[in-house]
Order: sequence, then C-alpha cells, then structure tokens
Amino acid sequence: MDDLFAPPNGNWQPVSPRLATLRRLLLIVPIAVLALVAVVVLALLVAWWIPVVVAVLAVGLGLWIWVWAGRNQRAWGYAENADDLLVTSGVMFKRLVAIPYGRMQFVDVTAGPVARALGIATVTLHTASTETAADIPGLPADEATRLRNRLTELGETHGAGL
Amino acid sequence: MAPGSDEPVAPAPPERIGLRTHPLTGLVQGGIWAAAVVVGLVSSTLSGDGWGNIPIWLTLVIAVVGGLLVGEALGFLTWWFTRYVIDGTELRINSGMLTKSSRRIPYERIQSVDIAEPLLARLAGLAELRIEMAGGKNSRSSLRFLPLAEARALRRLLLDRAHGRTGEVHDESSEPPEEQRELIAVVSPERVIIGTLLSLDFLFAILALVVVLVASIWFQQVIAFLGGLFALGSWIAQIVGKRVLQQWGFTLSRDSRGLRIERGLLSRTSQTIPFDRVQGVAVEEPYVWRRLGWQRLEVDVAGYATASDDNTTSTSSTLLPIADAQMAAYVLEQLVPGARPDDIERVAVPSRGWWFAPIGWRYRWIGSDDHAFVARSGWLQRTTDVVPHHKTQSVAMRQGPLQRMRRVATLDVHTPKGPVDADGRHLDEADARRELFEQLERARAARFGESTTTRRPPAGG
Repeated sequence: MDDLFAPPNGNWQPVSPRLATLRRLLLIVPIAVLALVAVVVLALLVAWWIPVVVAVLAVGLGLWIWVWAGRNQRAWGYAENADDLLVTSGVMFKRLVAIPYGRMQFVDVTAGPVARALGIATVTLHTASTETAADIPGLPADEATRLRNRLTELGETHGAGL
Repeated sequence: MAPGSDEPVAPAPPERIGLRTHPLTGLVQGGIWAAAVVVGLVSSTLSGDGWGNIPIWLTLVIAVVGGLLVGEALGFLTWWFTRYVIDGTELRINSGMLTKSSRRIPYERIQSVDIAEPLLARLAGLAELRIEMAGGKNSRSSLRFLPLAEARALRRLLLDRAHGRTGEVHDESSEPPEEQRELIAVVSPERVIIGTLLSLDFLFAILALVVVLVASIWFQQVIAFLGGLFALGSWIAQIVGKRVLQQWGFTLSRDSRGLRIERGLLSRTSQTIPFDRVQGVAVEEPYVWRRLGWQRLEVDVAGYATASDDNTTSTSSTLLPIADAQMAAYVLEQLVPGARPDDIERVAVPSRGWWFAPIGWRYRWIGSDDHAFVARSGWLQRTTDVVPHHKTQSVAMRQGPLQRMRRVATLDVHTPKGPVDADGRHLDEADARRELFEQLERARAARFGESTTTRRPPAGG
C-alpha cells in the first residue's frame, strides 16, 4: 500500500536538507580521519594490499552514509492538524506517530554546536508516555521556534491534564 | 491553629517548629539500617579472614554490635531532626541533619495517601504514611513512623483537605468518622497460595528444579549441580515470598474517590487508587488459571512506575491478584465503566502474520467501543489490555521491512509506563491505518466529553 504513511489530508512538511549535511559531516569526517590514520599505519607495517582494502572499505562506507543521510532526511515529515500533530520518519523502519495537542506536556528545542552552525534544530515533544518518542530533527531554527511556540500554545488551550 | 494539646507523646509545639513523629521511629528505622550494616560487615568478615590478628568470632561480635550501634545512632539522629507541620494550606516535612530539606505538600496536589506497615514497625504498632503528589519525579513523600491510629487520622485529614473539605486534626482519643467504603472483594489466603502454586513461573521453576535434581542424581555429580539447586531454590522462595506474603489477606474496597487495597502478611500496606489516575487495566490469564476461570488484574496508575521503595511494602500495580471471571469483570467495570472486552468488535491479525508469531497470531486482536480500546495477545499467558479513550496519550503505527513485504503493520496506543501495553502487532496495514485515525478521533471525542455515536453521519444521508 503506497500511501500507508501518507497524511490524511495535504502533504508532509519536509525538514531541511541541511539535516543530511549535518549527518554526513558528523559521520564521514571522523571515519575519514580514522581511515587515513589506519591506512598510513598499516602501509608502514604490513603488506601493501591491506591498506588498499581498508581504503576501499572506508570509501564504500562513506558513500553508503552519504546516500543514507539523504534518504533519511527526505523520509522525515510532519503535519499540523486541527487537533493533533503527525510525525513520520524512517526509510526501512517506518513510523507514523500522532500526538494530540492536549496531551503534550512540554516541548524542547535542542541543537548541538554543528547543528547551530548549520542553522537547524530538533524539536522534541513529551507526553506522559515514554513510548511517544516524537522528535523532529533538522528544522530550520526559526521554524523550530515557531513550531515550539505554537505547540505550547495549542497544548495549553487543548490541555487535558492527565 | 495549633493542633490538639493533651497528647502524651509530645506537648503542643508552636507551628513553626512542628510536630515530631513517634520516638520509637528512631529505634525501628535504626533497626532496619542496623540489619543492613550488620549483614554487610558480617559478610565482609566471612569472605575475608578477619582483621589482623583478632580471632574470627571476636570480629563477628564487633561487626554485629558495631552495626547495631551505627544503625541505631543513625536512626535516632534522623528522627531527632525530622518534624512535620500541618497548616492551612499544606503539609511540610522538615528533615536532615547536615543539609536541611523541607518538603512542601500543598493539599490540592495530593493524589493519594497510602499507609504502609513494614514488619518491624508493625511490631511496634507504628505505620508509615506515603503521600503521592501530582506530577514530577519527586512526587512521593513519606513520613515515618506514626502510631497506626494517628496515621489513619492524618490520612483522613489530608484526603479531606485535598478534596477541599476542611478537617480538624484529631488527637488520639477521638475516633475518626467512618468512611463510607464498600467492600468489593476479599481474596482468601488459600486462593493466593493455590494461585501462586499454579502460576507459570512457579511451575517452570519447579520443573527446572526437578530436571536439575534428576540430572545431578543421574550423573552422580551432586556437588556440581548444588549451585544450580541453590539458585533455583532461592528463586522459588522469592516467587512464593513475594506473591504470598505481599498478597495475603488482599482486600479491595471502594469509596467515592477511588479503590482501596489492603494486603500483606508480615508488612501491611494500605494503598489507594484514585479513579482518575487510572491509565489502563491489564487482565492476565496464565494457561493453568484459564482452565479454572481465574484472572489477575494489574492497573496502570500515573506515577507508580517511578516508585522504588523496598520490595515488601512498595506500591504494587496489582489490582486483584487472583479472582474469578465475574469478580474481575466487576472490578474492571468500576475502573473503566462500560468496557466489556469480550463483546467487542474485533480486528484480527490476518493469516499473513503467522511469520512473526507462528502460534500466537491466531489469538491476537484489537477492538474498541465507545469507552475503551482493547488489545489481546498471548496463548500461554493471555493478556487483555484495556485503555479508556480519554486516557490515550498518543497513537503510532510502525512497519519494518519484513512487515512491508507481508503488508502488515503494528499499531501502538501509548500510555504512561506501567503493566498496560496496548498494541496491535502485525495487523493488516489498511486496518492499522484506519484504526490509528479512528482511535485518534475517539480519544479526541472522549477528552471533550462527547459521545462518539452522535458524531457519525446518519446512514443514508
């Protein structure tokens, strides 16, 4: 069923492509550095073909991460409905979670140093249930703030306590 | 207003300083700690070989006496520095020797007040008051120890004030007015014992014990299997101890605010479950019990998952340890009015789902009516989870790659942490999606107090 994870009306709001950039930076750079060190060390110590294998593996891993980051970023989506917020994610393991505004306890906006430099942030919603696990990474910073303010306001007006 | 003046235990102090708990508190609390310290010192002595040149028996004596002294001293000091104050708006508990802490409990935030009597305290006629507040991690406060009658009077007072009725502090001479409580169920001790003996983990442990015994005799290697025997023996003792001792004399009664559970053989606990804190009920029927028509009910109460007191008197989420089907249905009706899990319209797992649960797929279904969402699963231990619509937190649908191949998906209805786990696994994907949005709508309608039947358009326009 193609539209199993489609929103009931309208389309998903996408997150910023800079999320993919963030993920690529955070994963590929350390791997590249490690691979370089490993190749140099191995080249000095063992036969010539081992560092080549390592280098090939590292390049392959890097390419796979590049592709994965892009696909993953495109798979995130959110939709603000009248009474609830829908969030979808995942490429292999897809998930769609619907959180009524009245059930939101609090909303966080977080951004690590690299994310801040790229201008994106993650919005996390908390309900009374620990299984809710709803977060939306890769939102442009002002959109994150807008969403957080709007959700907090809606949570208060719809508030249903516990 | 200063509380009652003629108590033999403590003269009426000004409110700023506050009342003391019973003086024997120091002894009892100290006793509990002393036991822990003694055990620690003795085990370290036994595992090492004594301190220096002192003979072993002397180090043991020193360890025991020292442990008792240290424990009792700590207990006494804690008691000395603990006071509680009841004034117009809140209860304050001040404690701490080095770092002073003052726990404020405003009356409106009190959710429930439980009374626990750990064994040592019970022997001295004392009880502990456990106060549960709304929200947050530090929502549980406890006041140790008061004489039992005073603890009950204080509980009455706190609950009255929590519900907006002003009450007076009763001194020990007057009787607190009887609450209107209706007794619902008493679980007889024989039922508790038989139920434990027939429960799955007990049977399994006995089976394992028999297997190990037979193996040890067959191979004539008793010593080698001794470790296994001890481990299994202690596991069995733990199961029996926990179930039987905790659930002995289980009494369930109801008043206007919630259900009250009283249980315990050596340590007694009196626990209140306010109706509006109930997030869901789980009905469990292990295989052997099903043949006899018995069920166990567990309840998911907001805030209970974070409790971590000592095991015997901790707040347990067991609503009814063992009951026949009729009693269980009655109790379920009290907490989730209108829910009848057996007559509900079911959405079953399609046969495509057999990949994921070769035996269990047949027994899984979800359903919902006007009042609650019901999920059933399990063949060895059948579990039915009931979540009232207005307590639904969020709803989610998940699908992994294998599930996508078989066109099935999993639906989760989220509730706060507890024994209730309402999910429909490996449902047909169209069903899962439809149920997700319908559950969202039902939860919305229930939160706003509408009836879902009035919202459907009339058939035929």
